[in-house]
Amino acid sequence: MTGPIPSIALVGNPNAGKSSLFNALTGARQKIANYPGVTVERKAGHASFADGRPIALIDLPGTYSLTPASLDEAVTRDVVLGKQEGEKRPDALIVVVDAANLDNHLCFALELLALGLPTVVALNMLDLAERDGLTLDPQRLARELGVPVVPTVAVRKRGLADLLEAVDDAIRTHEPREVVPAPRSDASLHQRARALARAATLSETPVRRWTQRVDSIVLHPIGGFALLLALMFVMFQSVYAAAEAPADFLESGIGMLQGWVVDTMPDTFLRGLIVEGVLAGVGAVIVFLPQILILFLFILLLEASGYMARAAFLMDGLMGKVGLSGRGFIPLVSSFACAVPGIMATRAIPDEKDRLTTILIAPLMTCSARMPVYALVIGAFIPARNVGGTPVGLQGLVLFGLFLSGIVGALLVAYVLRRSVTRGNAAGFMMEMPRYQWPRARDIAIALWQRAWIFLRRAGTIIAMTTVVLWLLLSFPKAPVGQSQVEYSVAGRIASGLEVVVKPIGFNHDIALALIPAMAAREVAVSAMATANAIDADGDEAAMAETLGERLQGKWSLATALAFLAWFVFAPQCISTIAITRRETNGWKWPMFMVGYLFLLAYAAAGITYWTAVAFGLG
Amino acid sequence: MTALLDRAPLGVAVRITRIDWNAISVDEGRRLREFGLMEGCEIVPLHRGSLFSRDPLALTIGRMKVIIRSRQAAAIEVEPAAA
Repeated sequence: MTGPIPSIALVGNPNAGKSSLFNALTGARQKIANYPGVTVERKAGHASFADGRPIALIDLPGTYSLTPASLDEAVTRDVVLGKQEGEKRPDALIVVVDAANLDNHLCFALELLALGLPTVVALNMLDLAERDGLTLDPQRLARELGVPVVPTVAVRKRGLADLLEAVDDAIRTHEPREVVPAPRSDASLHQRARALARAATLSETPVRRWTQRVDSIVLHPIGGFALLLALMFVMFQSVYAAAEAPADFLESGIGMLQGWVVDTMPDTFLRGLIVEGVLAGVGAVIVFLPQILILFLFILLLEASGYMARAAFLMDGLMGKVGLSGRGFIPLVSSFACAVPGIMATRAIPDEKDRLTTILIAPLMTCSARMPVYALVIGAFIPARNVGGTPVGLQGLVLFGLFLSGIVGALLVAYVLRRSVTRGNAAGFMMEMPRYQWPRARDIAIALWQRAWIFLRRAGTIIAMTTVVLWLLLSFPKAPVGQSQVEYSVAGRIASGLEVVVKPIGFNHDIALALIPAMAAREVAVSAMATANAIDADGDEAAMAETLGERLQGKWSLATALAFLAWFVFAPQCISTIAITRRETNGWKWPMFMVGYLFLLAYAAAGITYWTAVAFGLG
Repeated sequence: MTALLDRAPLGVAVRITRIDWNAISVDEGRRLREFGLMEGCEIVPLHRGSLFSRDPLALTIGRMKVIIRSRQAAAIEVEPAAA
């Protein structure tokens, strides 16, 4: 039989191990995009039958039933019913059920079977079920359900081959069958599922479950909280400690590349554009890839092991006090790496107002793009000594203070928003706590690679483009001899206009100039200052030998430097965040609101910092 | 002898006798049922709250652990499971 490539959808409950199975079937041959019109991630990939015929697989968002409670659950329903715009109805379903939780997962399976599509049930994570003392009878379950049931363990190839073979058979032998409708009421559906699970269970040995003991520590009202804080602390420490060597490596690599271009190309317009524009600008950003990956590695490990749901449990009390829910914790932690995936992760929050509030405060989490700015200014203005006689470094303490200001700011903003613009019902919080699991290296590697790719693509597009535009604006028109090129250029003149507005909060011409291109991405502020200084110092040997930090020390007061840091705690300078907010909220209203309130806060915070510092004689 | 789930002692198995579906939203009710929380089923409340509040509540139902808020737990009436 030849014809179009059959498309097969993986569908099942949350925590059924669907994604692991998808990764095992497709390997790295995956493509992540969005469903048209909605912002739910569409995970598609390729695999092939034993004889080499290709298949297209899609991994649908996990859900409990065909009655959706959130955006991504609605996509699952629409795809299996063939109602999703731009997506053809799958030719077959692989219904993934957790072997250790048949009581619950068979409910959704029964609903899916009633659709009448060619269907195979993957009895997944059979190894974990055996660990829990369960012995199951897949044949019996297959007889009861009337479709093939294939035991699978995502890491073992054997079950995967059987699964695809069963799918192949199911498509080939499929004829419209007498569909048994699923029981109509929830109670009878559950009764039927329980009866099926009982029939398929050969024996059930009660095993002393160590996970229960782990939870009594991890979820302890005080001890669990201390553990969570310790984990967060280790996470941020590693981000700065472990990323140092690879970041230095990348930095020297980019420097070498610049040197090579200078040596091999004649001194033309194009060379300036490549060296001072593209390489300087994009390079300044790519240097932060190691930090972002380490942070994502931690987040992925915490999620895959089942800890993240526990963290959400612990944080729910605190977040409930400001009108959020524990669900919001995961997106907010992700926002420490980057607000864009953080905001995308809010889709799992069912309550609309709760979700909107979480989106609006996500940019207040100190994302990795702020690091270059903080590192430059702290390095230049805060002395590298310890606080009193302690081993706590003053620079690190200032950095921690900036992180903390963001978090406290976010909680206060949430508190105010939930009592004004996003007022609504008290947010609910209902979620399943997955079992503890050892994260699979393959799953983590695939997810990390996808994150790295998104970041690099961003660096290659938005950031490359802004730096090129900035370089052009800084280079023209050419200043007459004796005048500063930066001041004379188009960018310099725009900055002089902006300087009027930001002068009261202590900002100078340098900063005004950096703020405009930094609208594209915060880290561009650093590369903008670097480019401006490079053009400014052109030909002056002494000036060129100085580092950017040293040059700033000569030009800025401490009060200005502190105000600049305070500005970046709040300022919404990131096109990607604004764009994703527009997409996730379906319009310009909320991104505009977000930009407005964040600029107001940034202006106020920088102003208060500057005036206070000046009053203490630091101006 | 019945009590409300938000006051039930931790670590002791209880059976759900009644759920006041009117006290919670339609969506919340459906999610409860999807978790398998219905009249007649047996659950064990396990952990309650953290440093900051009495919310939320973690419990086991069958082979699953789920988290709900005490506002929802207050709509669930339970009795001690058959001793």
